[in-house]
Amino acid sequence: MIFPQGAANRTDPDAAAQVVYDAVIVGGGVAGSIIAHELSRAGQRVLIVEAGPAEDLTVAGYEDYLSRFYSATSKDNQSPFPGNPNAPMPRSTDARPIVPGQPDAASYLVQNGPYCTDTTYTRVLGGTTLHWEAKTPRMLPEDFDMASRFGQGLDWPVDYDELEPYYREAEREIGVSADVEDQTYLGITFPPGYVYPMRGIPLSYLDTVVGRGVDGTEVTLDGESHTLRVRPFAQGRNGIPNRGYDGGKGFVPTGAVSTHQVQEGERCQGNNNCVPLCPVQAKYHAGKTLAKALGNGVDIVTQAVAYKVHVDPVTGRVSHLEYKQYLDPSSPDHVTRTARGRIFVLAANAIENARLMLASGLRDRGGLMGRNLMDHAYLLSWALLPEIAGTMRGTVCTGGIIDLRSGSFRRQQAAFAIDIHNDGWGWATGSPYSDLHAIVDAQNKFGPALRHALVDQISRQLLLAYMIEVPPSPSNRVTVDPAYRDQLGNMRPVISFSVPDYTMRGIAYGRRLARRIFERLGAEDYTFYDPADYGYVTHEGQGYCIRGGNHLAGTHVMGTAPANSVVDSTMRSWEHENLYLAGGGSMPTIGTANVTLTLAALCYRSARRMVEQLRKEAAPLAVSAAH
Amino acid sequence: MTEITPRITTLEQLHRYLYSALQLEHATIPPYLTALYSLHPETNSDARHILRVVAVEEMLHLSLAANVMNATGGSPDLTGPQFVPKYPAFLPDGEQDFKVDLAPFNEATLDTCLKIERPAKAPTEELRLVPRARSTRQLLAANPDDPSVQYYSIGEFYAEIERGLEYLHAEYRSEGRELFVGDPARQVTPEYFYSGGGEAIPVTDLESGLAALGLIAAQGEGLGGGIYDGEGELAHYYRFQQLRLEQYYQKGDEPGQPSGPPLSIDWNAVYPSLANATLANYPDGSELRAAAVDFNKSYAEFLGLLTRAYTGHPELLLEAVWEMFHIRDGMNRLLRNPLPGSPGTNAAPTFEMPTVAGGAGA
Repeated sequence: MIFPQGAANRTDPDAAAQVVYDAVIVGGGVAGSIIAHELSRAGQRVLIVEAGPAEDLTVAGYEDYLSRFYSATSKDNQSPFPGNPNAPMPRSTDARPIVPGQPDAASYLVQNGPYCTDTTYTRVLGGTTLHWEAKTPRMLPEDFDMASRFGQGLDWPVDYDELEPYYREAEREIGVSADVEDQTYLGITFPPGYVYPMRGIPLSYLDTVVGRGVDGTEVTLDGESHTLRVRPFAQGRNGIPNRGYDGGKGFVPTGAVSTHQVQEGERCQGNNNCVPLCPVQAKYHAGKTLAKALGNGVDIVTQAVAYKVHVDPVTGRVSHLEYKQYLDPSSPDHVTRTARGRIFVLAANAIENARLMLASGLRDRGGLMGRNLMDHAYLLSWALLPEIAGTMRGTVCTGGIIDLRSGSFRRQQAAFAIDIHNDGWGWATGSPYSDLHAIVDAQNKFGPALRHALVDQISRQLLLAYMIEVPPSPSNRVTVDPAYRDQLGNMRPVISFSVPDYTMRGIAYGRRLARRIFERLGAEDYTFYDPADYGYVTHEGQGYCIRGGNHLAGTHVMGTAPANSVVDSTMRSWEHENLYLAGGGSMPTIGTANVTLTLAALCYRSARRMVEQLRKEAAPLAVSAAH
Repeated sequence: MTEITPRITTLEQLHRYLYSALQLEHATIPPYLTALYSLHPETNSDARHILRVVAVEEMLHLSLAANVMNATGGSPDLTGPQFVPKYPAFLPDGEQDFKVDLAPFNEATLDTCLKIERPAKAPTEELRLVPRARSTRQLLAANPDDPSVQYYSIGEFYAEIERGLEYLHAEYRSEGRELFVGDPARQVTPEYFYSGGGEAIPVTDLESGLAALGLIAAQGEGLGGGIYDGEGELAHYYRFQQLRLEQYYQKGDEPGQPSGPPLSIDWNAVYPSLANATLANYPDGSELRAAAVDFNKSYAEFLGLLTRAYTGHPELLLEAVWEMFHIRDGMNRLLRNPLPGSPGTNAAPTFEMPTVAGGAGA
């Protein structure tokens, strides 16, 4: 995929300030890139305002990210990316236990607690897809009406059937590898004859070992019986193109992005180093979509941090937005510039969208802006299998257990999906690095004995990661506070979050189920939740360490009316008819599906509405081009 | 236009030419891989990507040649004793021959890469065959029917096969016979192989056979004198030329005048491996000797795996991906280690295929 050479810097910001764009989009991540591409395909003139560095996406630049990751001591999601105090990003290594009543303001996210999240998002071109795992399950039909079905959370103003065609568009763009027969479950439906763009990524050997113990296990919950089995996940990484795709036209995978022709990444190579970055770009990232949008002539200003959304007091429409453009990430020097458009799209992720809206001081009659912040709660359980199981082969996660994503039990407790981690205990313990240190330092081994010990230890590791539903809760929220600002003077997000009891009940159940699975596998349970851990939460006398999922959602939820929501079903603001708040923030619930595929589908649906609105409002609006 | 008498007039001749094509396509892979893995890790990104993609596409060409052979009832075999040439080996290049070394990436290696892929059109059809230079060295591709002559360029060699395929197809048709009688299940399809430009074209008839052969030639040297092939992919010659000119091509550029982003080469960030190393360079009983023997053995096994893939089990090409990581590791083990007694020189894989006990395939 060719990224137009110089595109990251080609738009003259002074000239752009004189243009009334059809659409101004804040953020060059997956939501912004999809919308920019769709609007440009419809002939609309688009400007993207991107906070991250002004660098073209090139293979060499991507390899710089990789080198930084390889040499970093901490292998966290953000370690490939240079620090940027002008567009700071949260980092899992920032998380610290919160003392009640004392917000932790030491790093970018100001955390009020009581729960401290280690969730992250990435502020570079391509956004958080630069570190996502690329699992792409659809939400279940029942996830869209949680309130009316289970008395939990909120109902969506759209249902599964309405979103289904847009799921297919998202699956095309992301390039999803999966087989329909594996993904048809718990109410998920596909149109007759549909096949995914590429065939499913096969289960790993570890998955099959776990499957031997798990498949056929019956569990009873709320009087209902559920039969468990290990099945493959849909994945946003290139596999074998399905010849039957698109009515037999087939599918051509999108490989690596660069300013020159480069052939790489057309197929996953099955190594384990998928997160944060696939070394060959076989994993989708939004740069692939952004490159197409820029190729269509979309303008972009970079190192441009949106700062304030301005509203015409008479019409209620957004008139312009101001951004601070910095020349050097290390220096606070910047100029404040203006972007004008007929419609505005905030696509900066759930936390940054809310932060920008709140920092703009706009009227918020419903009082819902920033509320209902969601992320999946992850509970890790880890054990050592009695046999060598090939851990560290295959992509980070090829299979898992989805059978408890659905059920009447959702009236009382959270549903979950279980990931089998092919990368062993890494997430929980820092393995394999921690194994190496332990074997060298504590066991004094070297040479062949060290190699043997490493293989014996690591290739028997099993980590089950429970991705547990977190329902919307108005008290879980993003706010801003003039006391907390970043280097550019922009107000930082202040997070208040507690893990709902509903989720805790799912967590407690999940932990018991993990023990049972370990027993069936004859695996030795090594799970340990440290009370000093920042994510330590207790429930009915038991303690658990909860991790964030980087699946941010719900700060500007969609609904049927201004009283129950911030945006309508097309992610358009109820307050400002030419403002769209795009992305996970519009999701009223997140169910047990990683959010990217669903938010991408929502963006395709909204883009259609945006084009309709722009065409309907084709007559130029009375917006002055200069102050 | 004068009608040229085809030199391929029998199926046996066609299969001999296609076997030569397999040899030719394969013969470029060890040199390209040696140059590729001689680059220091995390350096020379530009050279690495170009060498890698060309090597991958040579593997595609190998599969395409196998498809044509299978489609016409032949049976590709990459395990014969002479299949892998002894390096340095010669490649036809018009009037003067040049040798292809197994060598680390350097200026001379880049020159060789450019020569291998150079677009070269014979001045006249009759000159497609040129006298072979007197040499005891092996040729990468010679006229299999007449070892005294060789082709002017790789493109000319494939033009001869295309002509032969058309001729035989017409001959068979006129006799009420079918040339393309191979089992379609033996074809390598895009499920089992794809790289950036060009798909694995399954060959079932004349049209697809010519398409497969045409793709090989166009990926190497461009289409109709242009720098891109029919799929808009930069031809190998121009990919390498970018390294010489230190600038990338982009759409619309003329040959020799790239206008894309600049690129750079760090000539020092290369392991100085011994050129055309042989097992004799490694003392008996040394670790390097063991590593080199191991590598040759695993490479021979890899060619065996490819042969099985090309003779009815194309799905084995998926497994071959893993084997290629194994080959990479085996090459790195040699290229990254100094050669004792030769300061400033590293070891290198020798690609000397072990003789199969009992002389199978002789």
